[in-house]
Amino acid sequence: MTEQVEQPVTPGTRGDLGELCARATELVRGLPGPVRRVALRTGDHGVDIEWSVSGEPVTAAEVAVPPPARLAAATDAAIDAGPADDATYVVVRAPLVGTFYAAPQPGAAPFVVVGDVVEPGQTVGMLEAMKLMNHVIADTAGRVVEILVANREPVEFDQPLVRLGTP
Amino acid sequence: MFSRILIANRGEIALRVARTCRELGIEVVAVYSTADRDTPVVRMADVAVHIGPPAAKASYLYIPNIIEAALQTGAEAIHPGYGFLSEDPDFAEICAKEGIAFVGPSAEVMQHLGNKAVTRGLMSDAGLPLLPGTLEPVQSVRDGAAEAERIGYPVIIKAVAGGGGRGMAVVRDPDDFVEAYLRTTAAAHAVFGDDRVYVERFLVGARHVEVQVLCDNDGAGIHLGERDCSVQRRHQKLIEEMPSTRLTPELRAAMGAAAVRGALAVRYRGAGTVEFLVDSAGRFYFMEMNARIQVEHPVTEMTTGIDLVREQIRIAAGQPLGLRQEQVTFSGAAIECRINAEDPDRGFAPTPGVLDVLEFPGGPWTRIDSGCAAGGRVSPHYDSLLAKVIVWAPDRVQALARMDRALGELRVEGRGLATTAAFHRAILRDPTFRAGEHSIDFVDRFMTAAKGGSA
Repeated sequence: MTEQVEQPVTPGTRGDLGELCARATELVRGLPGPVRRVALRTGDHGVDIEWSVSGEPVTAAEVAVPPPARLAAATDAAIDAGPADDATYVVVRAPLVGTFYAAPQPGAAPFVVVGDVVEPGQTVGMLEAMKLMNHVIADTAGRVVEILVANREPVEFDQPLVRLGTP
Repeated sequence: MFSRILIANRGEIALRVARTCRELGIEVVAVYSTADRDTPVVRMADVAVHIGPPAAKASYLYIPNIIEAALQTGAEAIHPGYGFLSEDPDFAEICAKEGIAFVGPSAEVMQHLGNKAVTRGLMSDAGLPLLPGTLEPVQSVRDGAAEAERIGYPVIIKAVAGGGGRGMAVVRDPDDFVEAYLRTTAAAHAVFGDDRVYVERFLVGARHVEVQVLCDNDGAGIHLGERDCSVQRRHQKLIEEMPSTRLTPELRAAMGAAAVRGALAVRYRGAGTVEFLVDSAGRFYFMEMNARIQVEHPVTEMTTGIDLVREQIRIAAGQPLGLRQEQVTFSGAAIECRINAEDPDRGFAPTPGVLDVLEFPGGPWTRIDSGCAAGGRVSPHYDSLLAKVIVWAPDRVQALARMDRALGELRVEGRGLATTAAFHRAILRDPTFRAGEHSIDFVDRFMTAAKGGSA
């Protein structure tokens, strides 16, 4: 019954197979039924898990019931591999714990909106921690596909904030 | 009483604190680095916040992330455990500024106790016996050498900013003083950013005996007896026990009273430990005071029946001490072994790795405090403590047998993993240790003898 404040694990730009294996093992342990298929990819892709419930194979993405914390990761890991196309995604993650701000001031235009093309070094948001504002910087160029957190949402370390697709 | 506490630590102490919070009906916020994502305290917590990468500097020591995690989750208090930020006055001060209760003494008290020279002065004023030594840091190597002559050899050179066994050098021969002084000051500068040292007499054949104290906000203080921590390797404790075989009931009472006097003199609040050296004639001398819960606190819990973390939390919540000194009773004998994931055959090199098999002992009066679980990983990023094995028995002879039995049940397997359990068992069987006649150089002698050299 742990409420995981963290968002789903996405390998992101790191393709560590060992880490993926460890993650997959963790997820499989928490399944409500026997595992049917485990798919691991490397690079920017994540883990897919399929398990059986009452003899029917069910893919992770189809589970609608609010899952306990570990299963949420299984569900999201599959979803978080991105929309089902061949595009490569990069996720800008929180470098610290703080409150996310989408715009430089209240009422001002947000730093980025979906569809914007960003350059490396561009600010895509702000994180406030202990009254200090920190810029959230995109390391790579890309097109903003999705903004994953709401304005003024508290975020934790490494939490995915902005998904970028190929520019 | 608090409704939610954030535990700013990891491993066994985080889990131990979480357990008492649970018993008190307090919600637990666990913080974890990436390396600790899948650990027992995170699973037990009501809320868990990812606060940084594995490196402690960027996670468990990174104050802004921990404070933000507390503010985000509505934690009313932070328990710092031991190590990490537990004796960091800046952290205590920031908590106070943010309206978060810090489970421990005030920043000001911590600042005093973090400076060995200041502490010695305060304790001396409170009438505690000190080893002959300098009350102020020495000004120069010549000054130090002159003081050493005055104090009488052997002496120990100690960094003002050191502690916990770090930043010290023993000098037996006056001809070696200059080299030792230069070496210690250089190391202190490099590690602590403060090269000041002081010099004091080094006692031969002494025992390290520390006293647990509890002080509340109303100026009341009690002691909970001693822990003998003389079995140390390079100043790191390996085995702790209570009672100390060197203490008579009179000495226990005298040291306990002195410890309380000293703690109250520095306006201590919470659970603290006053460390003494006791020589073979039963004279005791103040060494240092530790402003945190200690690793070996279970030894006191087993012999007194008091939950120290519970008392810490109650005091931090403003409650008065629940016990008067007369109500504190001691029963039986307790021993703790710190089982580390280290290889004694390779100079105690840490052995990180995956715990394919981890089976803990159980049975009568056998307690295990561990942050590890089977399938988990001993991380290279943190200390190598695998588990604390603690036993209680009606007397020391039975406690020794119980500990040996318990360590025999412990099973740890994993590629590259080693533990110190066999080394501990060998110490438990050593005649000098069994007779309770060991002193603080015991492990050095034990290891020298094991190599076939002269003791």
